[in-house]
Amino acid sequence: MAACTRRASETMGLLRILRNLTHNERLLSTSVMRHAAASDGPPKFTPPAKPVIIDKTQKEASLRRFLSPEFIPPRQRTNPVKFSVERKDMIQRRKVLNIPEFYVGSILAVSMSDPHASGNLNRFVGICTQRSGKGLGATFILRNVVEGQGVEICYELYSPRMRNIEVLKLEKRLDDNLMYLRDALSEYSTFDFNMQPVRFELTGDVSVNQLKVKMKPKPWSKRWERPKFNIQGIRFDLCLTPEMMEHAQKWGEPWREYDMLKEYDTSSLEKQIFQEVEENLSK
Amino acid sequence: MTALTCRFISLADGLLRVAPVIVCRTGAALQRTPVIHCVRTHRTNTWWDEHLTEENSSFLKKIIADEYQQLTADKLNPLKDEPWARQEWVEGSRRVGLVAVKLGMMPVWTKSGERHVVTMLQVQDCHVVKHLSKEEYNGKTAALVVGGKNVSPFHRPEGYLEIFRNAGIPPKQKLTTFCVTDNSIIKPGTPLYAAHFRPGQYVDITGKTIGKGFQGVMKRWGFKGQPASHGQTKTHRRPGSLGPGGDPAKVFKGKKMPGRMGNVYDTVYGLKIWRVNTKYNVLYVNGSVPGHRNCIVKVRDTVLPNRFEKNKSPPFPTFFADGDEELPEDLYDEDMFQFGEPMPE
Repeated sequence: MAACTRRASETMGLLRILRNLTHNERLLSTSVMRHAAASDGPPKFTPPAKPVIIDKTQKEASLRRFLSPEFIPPRQRTNPVKFSVERKDMIQRRKVLNIPEFYVGSILAVSMSDPHASGNLNRFVGICTQRSGKGLGATFILRNVVEGQGVEICYELYSPRMRNIEVLKLEKRLDDNLMYLRDALSEYSTFDFNMQPVRFELTGDVSVNQLKVKMKPKPWSKRWERPKFNIQGIRFDLCLTPEMMEHAQKWGEPWREYDMLKEYDTSSLEKQIFQEVEENLSK
Repeated sequence: MTALTCRFISLADGLLRVAPVIVCRTGAALQRTPVIHCVRTHRTNTWWDEHLTEENSSFLKKIIADEYQQLTADKLNPLKDEPWARQEWVEGSRRVGLVAVKLGMMPVWTKSGERHVVTMLQVQDCHVVKHLSKEEYNGKTAALVVGGKNVSPFHRPEGYLEIFRNAGIPPKQKLTTFCVTDNSIIKPGTPLYAAHFRPGQYVDITGKTIGKGFQGVMKRWGFKGQPASHGQTKTHRRPGSLGPGGDPAKVFKGKKMPGRMGNVYDTVYGLKIWRVNTKYNVLYVNGSVPGHRNCIVKVRDTVLPNRFEKNKSPPFPTFFADGDEELPEDLYDEDMFQFGEPMPE
């Protein structure tokens, strides 16, 4: 506080010196000087300060420790050499193409080079409904409703045709797989192609959108109320009766969570791979 | 399971030892006693470390590992170790192949952006084990025996280990024979590398397919089966007719029927090599390859005549790591997209 006041007094002193100089040319247009001019006579016109244009599009990358899920090898008895060789290629590709941090539920704009499109470029905006595949074959699905028609496109992350991936809105949803948007009302998967990027926090946890969707009447592509999907983001109370919800619990397998053979703790693996990726990407 | 079998054998052994005593004792009373007849199929009934202390067996394991490392290191410079005379590649030469381990599959892209899938095959500790001359092999062609993937020498028969001792290399899990022409024979003990094949070449791959067990005709032979409805009773996946009735009055030999499926050797022909990693000795071969993950496959130059153009003047008789040729870490096919380069458009 003390340092702050000292600096303020210094700047005031500097301004005072400036005022004492000859004011033929405008050195600085400060409010202090304008007040001085007002005291002399009729107010002169002073042009307003130029508006500072703040670029809303985010340029700097996220500072979170984030490892893309396709780096984590699946749990199987494969020689680890396979994954390490593949990881090298993935890092090589990431040096050329910036693959940002994104999650299921984020809204992305993807530009692919398409030999059949005019201008050789195809841009699509949509919500990421699923991320799947490990290693170089990793994919993600974007969904949007174009002219009343639902469109889903499955993109390969490491395809050389991929030109640019832009995150328009970085957020998570209540579920890790949003395939139920196919059976939800189309308003939940309709996004404007000219959507402006939403600024997001560079650190801290990614915000979770608590949106719960309303569904079209049954039949659905899958019985989303069944316990194996464990869906949180659907308003079941609007479309199903309590009896129906109770009936769906018949397929519940509550013992599965105690199956210790199914546990796959990737935390140490993740740490190790993250370090390797960081080292090689900065090289 | 092995332990159980072993116990069973020792039980039989005990019976054998007791048997003469019983016969002697009862022999006086009953003249026509059936003699207990036991044939032991196992030569030994002990594990290799059964009569060793823990320290001894661990010591043995350690020195064997060291010894095999030393053996492998000694064979790293085959060109300085009195090699057999190298000859030039001519039309019609057949080279030796490789024994490789299947790692898994991954996608590759061409420079125009098309996607292909490849199988990754790693060449692990592949050595030439033995040379069989024309007379020794079949009187028509010479052959080279190649082994791949080092294994523990314990639990292996003496005769099997002797083959490797003669060649001066560690024992291998798999031995295969390649028919070669006389100009492409290699001295036993020479290591073989993935760079034996080059991107753009075409290869044939032999492996043991995944066993599917006893299967019906629809899965095993792709029969159509019968309709699901419209009055079908107990016939949906059955083979149907086995053939004409009165005239042949028999079922022809080789009729496709239900049975054991898979677990047989199968060869796929004419697979392109997209890329070779010389550091980890990985071959990237187009498409799928018979066998499960980590299974051992046999890779050789293709026999398809219309691919001979692409297989001309390969490293002959094989690639020598201590030769003049300096290779980069990755060799790519000219059509293949390389990660780390921008898309050419």
